[in-house]
Amino acid sequence: MIELHRVWKVFAVGPVKVPALSDVSFRVAKGEFVTLHGASGAGKTTLLRLLYREELPTEGEIEVLDYDVPALRVREVAELRRSIGVVFQDAKLLPGRTVYENVAFVLRVLGTPRREITPRVFDALRAVGLSSRAQAYPAQLSQGEAQRAALARAIARNPLLLLADEPTGSLDDTMAAEVVDIVKDIWAGGTTVLFATHQARLAAALRQRTLTLVGGRLVKDEG
Amino acid sequence: MLGFLFGEALRDLRRAGRVAVAAILLITLSLAALGGFWLVSANVGQAAAHWRDRVRIIVYLKREPSADDAHALVERVLAMPGVGAVRYVSKAEALGTLKQVLGKDASVAEQLPANPLPASLEVTLTAEGTTPEGARGLIARLSGLSEADEVGGGIDWIERLARGQRLLEVIGLGVGAVLAMAAILTVTTATTLVLHARRQELEIMRLVGAPELVVRLPLLLQGMLQGLVGAVMAIWVLIVLYTIAGPRLEPLVSQTLGLERLTFLRPQTVVALMFAGTMLGGFGGWLARGRTER
Ligand SMILES: Nc1ncnc2c1ncn2[C@@H]1O[C@H](COP(=O)(O)OP(=O)(O)OP(=O)(O)O)[C@@H](O)[C@H]1O
Ligand SMILES: [Mg+2]
Repeated sequence: MIELHRVWKVFAVGPVKVPALSDVSFRVAKGEFVTLHGASGAGKTTLLRLLYREELPTEGEIEVLDYDVPALRVREVAELRRSIGVVFQDAKLLPGRTVYENVAFVLRVLGTPRREITPRVFDALRAVGLSSRAQAYPAQLSQGEAQRAALARAIARNPLLLLADEPTGSLDDTMAAEVVDIVKDIWAGGTTVLFATHQARLAAALRQRTLTLVGGRLVKDEG
Repeated sequence: MLGFLFGEALRDLRRAGRVAVAAILLITLSLAALGGFWLVSANVGQAAAHWRDRVRIIVYLKREPSADDAHALVERVLAMPGVGAVRYVSKAEALGTLKQVLGKDASVAEQLPANPLPASLEVTLTAEGTTPEGARGLIARLSGLSEADEVGGGIDWIERLARGQRLLEVIGLGVGAVLAMAAILTVTTATTLVLHARRQELEIMRLVGAPELVVRLPLLLQGMLQGLVGAVMAIWVLIVLYTIAGPRLEPLVSQTLGLERLTFLRPQTVVALMFAGTMLGGFGGWLARGRTER
């Protein structure tokens, strides 16, 4: 499902070179739930962005869903992304559209037949417990609700792979546990999950295989 | 899907707001200018064509030929390239026509000791012969006839009219082109605003792997819509001008140019203007897309 081989990502900030990822290699099999743990700045977001080709590696090989990711052409990038659901660290909800419209927007853009849209949007909203907030605008949501809306948008098109970048980022423990339960339900439905978090306690509580990043190096792979 | 794309395009138009309105007005202006010049030029062209049909070249003969010689002469002239018809006018017929024209003063003519009018040939040109070169060549050839005394008539002034028409077309195209450039730039600006307002949507589209067409088409469509609305308004402006100014101008035009009626643009031209507007707008929208592409 995912395979990285000796991947480096070095950002050049002016004359300074910032190695965000250093010599990272690992594999994730189909159907796995993998926690990606690391302190702020450890390189979690960078790693996820490499997987859906929002960044190119400075060096190394990346394979996702049998695609040779760095070598993809524009059309194939779109193809790859259609199979991946991403919960962005900053949610990226469209402020001018309701929760319903935010989820429906992605389905429409991807050419889902009209009559399938409403049921699929509500399935996704039900899965994250947000059906009652369908007509709310993002500004009217609590942070937990906003993150669940972003999650609903990511799962509405049944992706093979779910990349969740700190979906519990700013939530208290009870709300974080709720979101974790939702992600686990999605995983139980057969979706492969990569779950990034900086919270050690949460990573431990997930009780799944955990990749630990420290300063861009993969220092631990256990569980 | 198409409904969705159109919905997005309309949403975009609303977002571009005042700039989109300015773009539409500029398209209206440029196409109205283009169409206006076209309209005038078409009417001038029609006047020129009208006069071309009536062009005669008169060959005055040195002496009146016998009936047989006249017949042979007519045949020879008829064989010349560009000649449509030839009529022989005898001295007597010429005098008869003069008397008719003089009417009650015809007695003046009767007092003449001898018929002073020469016999002549009235030569009508074929449609192909009615070009400046064709007419000039024919006049030269007719002047070369041993029987010919003097050759009159020609189409020089009609050519001046036709040149005027072509000048109008060039000016119209020039003014239209300048305004069209301004219109394209304004559509591009409007679309850039749309892009800015939509950058979050576009980012999401990109991130979830929307097909390029879905990203691009609404932008193209909103540009084309601006163009189409502008073109329809331009045609409307022309129709209004034509209905208001037409009846007032017709008497003048019929006296000077010999046209009884002014004609409006042909349906094909109207369609062409609408098409041009749509293309202008689409081009503007497409340009904006190109500028922001990564
Ligand atoms: N576009 C960029 N240009 C320069 N440096 C960058 C860029 N993106 C990330 N970095 C650097 O790479 C390192 C890793 O960043 P990254 O965002 O991957 O960390 P993270 O683990 O996601 O952190 P957080 O938990 O705060 O989200 C950081 O030092 C960051 O400053
Ligand atoms: Mg991050």
